[in-house]
Amino acid sequence: MLKEVNSAEFKELAGKGLVLADFFSTTCGPCKMLSFVLKDVEKEFGDDLAILKVDFDQNKELTAEYGVSGYPTLILLKDGAEVGRLQGLQQKPVIVKLVQDNK
Amino acid sequence: MAVNYSFDEHLIDKQAKAEEEMLKKFEAGHYTIQDPLVVYNAYLINPLSAVVCFETEEEVAVTVTVLGKTPQGNMGHTFPKAKKHVLPIVGLYSDYQNKVEIRAYRGESNVITIDVPDVFDGKKVIYSMDTTPEYLQDNVILVSPAGEDLAVAFDYAGDARWHMNVPCVFDVKRLRNGNLIMGSSRVIQMPYYMSGLYEISPCGKIYKEFRVPGGYHHDEFEMEDGNILCLTEDLRSETVEDMCVLLDRNTGEILKTWDYKHFLNPETVSHSGSWSAHDWFHNNAVWYDKNTNSLTFSGRHVDAMVNIDFETGDLNWIIGDPAGWPQDMVDKYFFKPVGNNFEWQYEQHACVVTPSGDVMCFDNHHYGHKEVERDQFLPAKDSYSRGVRYKINTKDMTIEQVWQYGKDRGAEFFSPYICNVEYYNEGHYMVHSGGIAYDADGNPSEALGAFAKNNGGQLESITVEICDNKKMLDLHVPGNYYRGEKLKLYSDGINLELGKGQILGQMGVTKEFETEIPLENSGEMLPDSCNARVEDEIDRFTFFSRFEKGQLVMLLLEQGEEVHRYFISTTAVPFLAMCCGTFLDSDERNTRTSINKNGLKGTYDLRVIVDDKKYETGVQITC
Repeated sequence: MLKEVNSAEFKELAGKGLVLADFFSTTCGPCKMLSFVLKDVEKEFGDDLAILKVDFDQNKELTAEYGVSGYPTLILLKDGAEVGRLQGLQQKPVIVKLVQDNK
Repeated sequence: MAVNYSFDEHLIDKQAKAEEEMLKKFEAGHYTIQDPLVVYNAYLINPLSAVVCFETEEEVAVTVTVLGKTPQGNMGHTFPKAKKHVLPIVGLYSDYQNKVEIRAYRGESNVITIDVPDVFDGKKVIYSMDTTPEYLQDNVILVSPAGEDLAVAFDYAGDARWHMNVPCVFDVKRLRNGNLIMGSSRVIQMPYYMSGLYEISPCGKIYKEFRVPGGYHHDEFEMEDGNILCLTEDLRSETVEDMCVLLDRNTGEILKTWDYKHFLNPETVSHSGSWSAHDWFHNNAVWYDKNTNSLTFSGRHVDAMVNIDFETGDLNWIIGDPAGWPQDMVDKYFFKPVGNNFEWQYEQHACVVTPSGDVMCFDNHHYGHKEVERDQFLPAKDSYSRGVRYKINTKDMTIEQVWQYGKDRGAEFFSPYICNVEYYNEGHYMVHSGGIAYDADGNPSEALGAFAKNNGGQLESITVEICDNKKMLDLHVPGNYYRGEKLKLYSDGINLELGKGQILGQMGVTKEFETEIPLENSGEMLPDSCNARVEDEIDRFTFFSRFEKGQLVMLLLEQGEEVHRYFISTTAVPFLAMCCGTFLDSDERNTRTSINKNGLKGTYDLRVIVDDKKYETGVQITC
C-alpha cells in the first residue's frame, strides 16, 4: 500500500506492522524523485509494507512529534516503534535493505 | 534552441600545443641573450611567469633574475650549462614593466622588459605584509583557494609574485623534485570534489594529472619514495571524505586504500557541532610519520586526530575530547591531559607530527565543545582559533599542551573552518587563519566564509610566522584561503622540463539513479530559461543549467535501449562544511552536474526531464 495520509489517518495506520513514513514537501525536487522510488519499493514488498506519505508542510504537529526537521525523511516503524530513519533522497536498494533488515 | 555545446581540451593538451608552438618559433629564429624569444605566460595558467629562449655559442650556465622593486625583491636562479636555453621566469610583478636580467656565467648579459598587465583586474589582493626581507628572503607566502580568490603568493614587501588563473583548490605543497603538487582544476562533484592532483612547475606547466576515481579533497602528502597519499572517498557510497589512497608517482595507480569505516564506526563516533551522517568524519588532513610508520588523519566532524598503523590500518590513538565516545574506545585510544592550560581542539585542521613525535594542528575551536554539549557552543563573537602543539606519551596515554598561538587574538583570528600550521623547526612555525568571516553588519560571522560572502559579508585571512615566540611575519589579505605555504619560486630541482604532460589514473564511474521516471520524449527543446550548456572533455562532461527550486530534474544519456540516469537536485543543500566555496554559485538555481565517461561507450543523446516533460538538448556525447 502506498498512500498520502493526514495526521489522523497516519495515527490510525502507523501502529500496525511495518510502516514506512515518507515526510515530503511539494516544493522539493528530491521528494518528487523519491515518490518514483517508493512506487518501486511498493512493488517489491506488496502488502508486507505500508508506505504512508505525509506532507511536511501540512502536518506540522506530526513532523514535530517524530522529530523531522527536513525533507525528504523516511522513518520505518515496526508496530508503531521507530526502527530506522533515512534522511535525503535514497535509492531503492538502500530503502529495501532497511525494510528487509527490520522485517 | 539547442543547448550550447563546447569541447574543452585538457590543460595538458593546451599546454603541449603552446609549448610546441614556442619551441617551433625558437627553432625557426635566431635568438640570443641580447635578443631572446620571450613568451609571456607560456603555460597559460600562471600570468606572473614567462619563458625565455635563446642560444649561446658555447655551453654556458645562465642566471636569470627578476629584478625586484627593491634589491631585496630580486628572484633568480642559475641554470645548468647548455647551448640551447629554455628558461622559466617566475616571480614577475602584476601591472608592471618587469626587468629581467639574463647573465651568462663569465659572459654577456642583458636586461629584458616583460610587460605584465594587472592580472587581478584592479581587485585588491592584500591588506598588509609585516615582515623583513632578512626574515623572508626570496621566499613567498603562497595562499591556496577556499573561495573565489585564486592562488596567489606574496613576497616580503607584500607584492604578489605568483598567481594561478585556474581554480586549483585546497592544499599546495612543494615536492622533493622541486615541483608543486596541488588539487586539479576540474571539479567532478559539488561542492568541491576534484578530479585528482596536478604535479606542476611553479611556472604553471602541468607534468602530471593524477586522476583518482573517488576524486581529491583537502590534502595530499608525498611519501619518502615519492608516492603520494591523497585524500579521497567513494563517490558511489552514502558517505564522503572518509578514505585515503596511496598513488604510484609514476603510473597514478592506486597502491593502497584506507577506508576509515574499518577503524571507526560511523554510528558510534562522537559528533562535532558540524557533524552530518553523510559527512561523518570530514577528513581534512593526512600526515605520514616515518618514525612510527603511521598515518594521522584529521577529522573535523569528530573533533579528533586519529592515528593508524600504515600497514595494518589498525587504530593506534585518538587525540580529542573524549566526550560522547564509547567508553571502551576512551579507555583504549584516548589520552589523559596533564600539565597546565590544557585545551582540546575542536573541528581542527592540518595535523602535523613533528620530528620528536609531538602533534600539531590548527585548532579552529569552532563551537568550543562537542555536539553532546550543544548548549555550551561558543558564538563566533566569543570564539578563537589557534595553532597548538601537543606532546603525547603513547605508553601512559597522557597528553600535554606545550605551545599555542592565536587564542589571545580572540575573534579577529577566529576561523571556523579551513587553515593550517606548518612546522619549520623547534619554536619556528606558521599559523594560517584563512577562514575569518564577518557578516553584513561587521560582526564575526556564524556562517562559514562562502555563505557569509554571499550574504554581504567580508572575508579575511591572516597568516603569521612565529620564531621563538616572536612574531616574524604577519600577512593580512582579503578573502578566505585554505592554507598558507612558504616556498621559493625557483628551486634546486626541476624548475621546467619540456615535453607533454601525462594524464594518469582514471576517473570513477559516476553514480547513476536506477529508478526510471516513465515519460515519453516530448520532442521539445529544453527551454531557453534553463540557460543550459554542456562542456565536454576527454574523460567527462559537465552540464550547467538553471532550474527553479523544487523542480524534479533528471539528466539522461540515451543510446537506443541503453539509458543512464543522473538525478539533479534543485534543493539548496545546507552544507555544514563548505571548506572550499570556489565552485559555489551565488544563484542557487544554477546547477552543475559532471558525468565521467568511464563506464560509458558510444554516442549518447543527452536529454533532460524537468517535472513531467522529457526535453531534447540537441547535444550528443561521445564516450
